[in-house]
Amino acid sequence: MTAYREVKIRTPLALKILPALSIAAFFCLWEFMVRSGAVPETMLAAPSTVAQLFLVKLREADPDGALLQQHALVSIEEAFTGYFLSLAVGIPLGLAMGWFVVAEGLARPVFEIIRPIPPVAWIPLTIFWFGIGLPGKIFIIWLGGLVPCVINAYVGVKMTNPTLIQMARTYGASDWQIFKQLCVPSALPMVFGALQIALACCWTNLVAAELLAADMGLGFMITMGRRLALPEMVVLGMVMVGFTGAVIGVVIDRVEKRLLAGIRR
Amino acid sequence: MSSSIANETTGCARDSGPLTLGRILTNRFFLYAVSLFCFFYGWDLLARTLGAEGSSSLARPKEVILALEDLYENELADYKLLGHIWASTQRVLIGFSIAAILAVPLGLFMALNRYVNAIVKPLFDLLKPMPPISWISISILWFGIEETSKVFIIVIGTFVPCLLNAYNGVRLVEPELYDVIRMLGGNRRDEILHVCFPASFPAIFAGLQISLSSAWTCVLAAELVSARSGLGYIIVQGMNLSDPAMVMGGMAVIAVVAWGTTLLVTALENRLCPWKRKIAGL
Repeated sequence: MTAYREVKIRTPLALKILPALSIAAFFCLWEFMVRSGAVPETMLAAPSTVAQLFLVKLREADPDGALLQQHALVSIEEAFTGYFLSLAVGIPLGLAMGWFVVAEGLARPVFEIIRPIPPVAWIPLTIFWFGIGLPGKIFIIWLGGLVPCVINAYVGVKMTNPTLIQMARTYGASDWQIFKQLCVPSALPMVFGALQIALACCWTNLVAAELLAADMGLGFMITMGRRLALPEMVVLGMVMVGFTGAVIGVVIDRVEKRLLAGIRR
Repeated sequence: MSSSIANETTGCARDSGPLTLGRILTNRFFLYAVSLFCFFYGWDLLARTLGAEGSSSLARPKEVILALEDLYENELADYKLLGHIWASTQRVLIGFSIAAILAVPLGLFMALNRYVNAIVKPLFDLLKPMPPISWISISILWFGIEETSKVFIIVIGTFVPCLLNAYNGVRLVEPELYDVIRMLGGNRRDEILHVCFPASFPAIFAGLQISLSSAWTCVLAAELVSARSGLGYIIVQGMNLSDPAMVMGGMAVIAVVAWGTTLLVTALENRLCPWKRKIAGL
């Protein structure tokens, strides 16, 4: 027997139904608009057409040269390679910039020059350097993920409780010991925050990279859909990009919660 | 405020000793100068060695400046450099304003009224995960390659962060503030006017900052795919002419302009909501 009674707040029925209703209305309206001819077929495909194409694309490679799962796999592979590279470079760099004066002094000006340039703007230069193959796309994705990693790790170290640092100094800890045992652990929540942000950046840049320089991948599929004037393919590509991105986001979120159990207060 | 002190304490200790070689070497501004020098010199050296080998994939800093001068004085596709800058900025400003005017009130409404929230949130969650750049193709199908399609992409790209931040800004207002205004006899209207809006202002502005940088990404992507003017067009032309100096000049201009607009929004923010707590960071 507990000492208090649990308070139950009842949500009105309308609030439970409305979300489902709104989604249903959205799809019905979309289907209706296309079917009735209010929006021409060359501009938008009905959801049912997109669903049909989805089933077809799982088995047929035409007209864009690859199966849907191949496109998705290529995209995921590129995104993850770029993502992990940006984590591997960005997080140590950000942590070091937050604590060591020399690291900050040397890295910050260059970082500040590169930071305001959107990764998309690097695409033409990347094509010069790497052609339209895998390394170029990975470079763009890497650049996109790098900036949030560095910023978050840097801010995380800067936000270390100063009292703890002073205490560690009083006990005679060296700079390196303070960095390793105090600053890095206390920056971890911010660093893990960067995982999600960097992933979102990487995924956006992936699409940009594939729109301009690719021969396979979800972004390429969207471009092909436009070139062939097949709106259902464009929409299918968009849906797949959104869906895959959302799934990866959820997975990273799970991993983050696992790793952070006990750190985040 | 206190969060930035961590390294200031160590900085003070370092600054108060006698002037030694070690102190000069770890002086922040000295290091900045070294870093910039190494960056530009390394770039120049790399470009020169690559150029000597006959490959022209990297332009020297001097060539970039010359290319910029050329763009400034001569026309490229009917516009001089300033015209291109203005073309891009104009698109960003139009798209950004439309998105801010639509998204911020919608976000506030969603946070204040749960029925609006129940209707809009699922649709929003459905569309949110699609990167704005993936809309480029469909917007070309819809609006052609004219101005409208570019503005549309920017609106899509800026809508999400504006709305999310307005929404979260209101939802994360400390509940004690509501208690206070209720104790003082305020009604729902006072709650909204005197608590919700001022307290969510910093979050809304953070959203505007994020969406501004997103707007620049979008406009560039849209211009790279299809355009007759704008900074993205300069870069693409540079690529088509295989002229790395022009590409890098375009990138430099983009960096400066994007940085300038960010400064503008920050200044506006400091003017409009001075009560925002300072957050240490870059």
